[in-house]
Amino acid sequence: MAVSDTVAATPSAATPTPAPPSRRRPGGRDAAYWLYLLPGAVLFILVIGVPLVGTGYLSLTRWSGVGDPTFVGWDNYQRLLHDEVFWASFRNTVAMIVAMVVVPTLLGLLLASVLFDVIGRRFRPRTAAALRAAFYLPQVLPVVVAGIVWGWILRPDGAFNSLLDAVGLGALRHDWLGDPDTALPAVMAVMIWVQIGYPVVVFMAALQRVDPELYEAAEVDGANWLRRFRAITLPQIRPETFVVALTCTIAALKVFGPIYALTRGGPENATNVPSYFAYYTFFKKLQVGYGSAISTVLTLIIVVVAVVFIGVQARSERRDRGI
Amino acid sequence: MQRFRRIVAAIALAATATTTVAACGDDDSGDDSGAKTLKLWHYEGENSAMGVGWDRAIEIFKTEHPGVEVRFERKAFEQIQQNAGMIINSSEGPDIMEYNKGNATAGLLSSQGLLTDLSYEAAKRGWADRLSPSLQTTARYSDKGVMGSGNWFGVPNYGEYVTVYYNKDLFDRNGVKVPTTMAELTAAMDTFVGKKITPLGMAGAEYPAGQLFYQLALSKADRQFVDDYQLYKNPVDFRADPLKYGADTFADWVRKGYVAKDSASLKAEDMGTAFIAGKTPMIVSGSWWYGRFKAEMKANWDTFLFPGNTLNAGSSGNIWVVPTNSKAKSLAYDFIDITLRPEIQDLIGNNGGVPVAGDPAKISDPKDRKLIEDFNTVSKQDGLAFYPDWPVPGYYDVLVGGFQGLINGSKSPDQVLDTIAKPYADGVKEITGK
Repeated sequence: MAVSDTVAATPSAATPTPAPPSRRRPGGRDAAYWLYLLPGAVLFILVIGVPLVGTGYLSLTRWSGVGDPTFVGWDNYQRLLHDEVFWASFRNTVAMIVAMVVVPTLLGLLLASVLFDVIGRRFRPRTAAALRAAFYLPQVLPVVVAGIVWGWILRPDGAFNSLLDAVGLGALRHDWLGDPDTALPAVMAVMIWVQIGYPVVVFMAALQRVDPELYEAAEVDGANWLRRFRAITLPQIRPETFVVALTCTIAALKVFGPIYALTRGGPENATNVPSYFAYYTFFKKLQVGYGSAISTVLTLIIVVVAVVFIGVQARSERRDRGI
Repeated sequence: MQRFRRIVAAIALAATATTTVAACGDDDSGDDSGAKTLKLWHYEGENSAMGVGWDRAIEIFKTEHPGVEVRFERKAFEQIQQNAGMIINSSEGPDIMEYNKGNATAGLLSSQGLLTDLSYEAAKRGWADRLSPSLQTTARYSDKGVMGSGNWFGVPNYGEYVTVYYNKDLFDRNGVKVPTTMAELTAAMDTFVGKKITPLGMAGAEYPAGQLFYQLALSKADRQFVDDYQLYKNPVDFRADPLKYGADTFADWVRKGYVAKDSASLKAEDMGTAFIAGKTPMIVSGSWWYGRFKAEMKANWDTFLFPGNTLNAGSSGNIWVVPTNSKAKSLAYDFIDITLRPEIQDLIGNNGGVPVAGDPAKISDPKDRKLIEDFNTVSKQDGLAFYPDWPVPGYYDVLVGGFQGLINGSKSPDQVLDTIAKPYADGVKEITGK
């Protein structure tokens, strides 16, 4: 919409060498765009569209995975409404959003600003780049590998408890992932560690885009670091902030790998999340219809969140442009 | 272009597999006597007892079937567990496959007509005579897919059971004798606790806790309870013995320090490696550990049956199944027959496995022989009570969650029994409609 408007509104005079008009038919340009979209559209239909419709249909059935599904209407959705585990999994998703979106975004913003503005200026830029790479490292590791390693660290005889012993805090030794009270905070801490590098890298790239003259002018006017951060940095990198918040929120809503590797949703569903709950219902309980209903609800929530985010972002951009 | 065609073909195959599963009947009348290929899949490790035994069985098969090509593929357990329905319903599936025993796996596929009825072959080739009644339980499934009765849809050729592994060196060093009764076992554990050693290895995040609970429950159970619990013959009261005894005693053992309170997050591998490292005097676990301990453990160790129990968690191993779509059924039956021959059975036994029709006298290592003799003792007294998570799909995670609560003290035994009672009742209702 915005893209095609922009392209269509571009006057040919602004383009030094426009394509010869003789090669165009009325509406030919649009047709060409559709041609480029075709491979993506076909793949989208095959890989996402068909399974999505299939999952939607299966969510209205009772099926063990083989044989004929039995149509049961909205039964699975009614069952979902009364399923304590389902609601518990969504409560845990809120915790995952805190651990994967809120904390990493805020912390990432702060770290990126410090790396760019303080470390990058006072030390060599290479130092800031090395630190940025260090923060990003967990993102490079396969999440299951990271999960297994953290599992070793947090186990009763693991490195974390040994560290507590070593610093004289042995009384705090604990089965961090085995206790329902500490399992979720422990998983959240791991997720913060996993996620933090992503916003740091994106925000540092965004900061390089900001015109240095803005900062220089502000410094000349006597603005301190905090003032510059609030008045220049934050507004200038708002588009990247939206992107980080949106992608991390979607990642938090559908988080699976770390939960599978660390706790399998336990103990006592303390760390269960909707995607693991759907997997468990599908493959362990062989209740494909019910698992599909969970997946469908999760998909709808993700779509709604994405649409809301993009809408807010578009409105914010329009406001910035004064439209 | 060729790749595109392959992708389209793959999608078409997947779509066909998911939509036409029900269309398959149990027609095994096709004449396949002239088949020149046997496609065989299993998921045993190359060096495991079964892997060694079946490699030899393939060699014998090739000798006896000149001109027949055996196309063997080693698969992953999870791969088969999650995709078996689709795989064996397609033309790409194997002619014979190792598959997981139980209602939710072999039972489910047999009820949908995806597995060949082997009853005729079992009778004709004498398989039925070679397997004890409790071993046959996992081979036979009703038309609803419930094990224990009905036609033969699978053939086991190895067994497994839960036993007690103990570290002889730790026992000797602490003056503990091998217990033969429950009283002696608790006395032995008290001795270790007195010396600040946690006597029993545990792993709350996986199967060991559920199996210990079941062993304790089985000490107060009879075959009727096993039939009620596993085969839904009668409703099961979770607030009464033997299950109540199992949960209460488990909690008591945690309280007394026999089981570590901080073992709720540990996995079975952690428990096994702690035993191998000589940190744990005893673990209650399955015969599937035996080969690993034999290969990796430096300290002296041995096994003894859970003291006082006639019934023990255990069953046949996984089973050979012949998909309905198999194009070489006669060859598949011949292969199953070979795996049940004394030569292969003894080979499994001599490599640390538990053959179902093995002769202990042919087993050279005394420790291996004891493992098999113990299994034969349990099997002959109709003492294989299967596993606690078998009755309903997804029950494994229910038990894990429940017993994690008991280990870390966040739940009482009665609360745990309530937690595991409802999914059991729901699952049974799902299967039987009652």
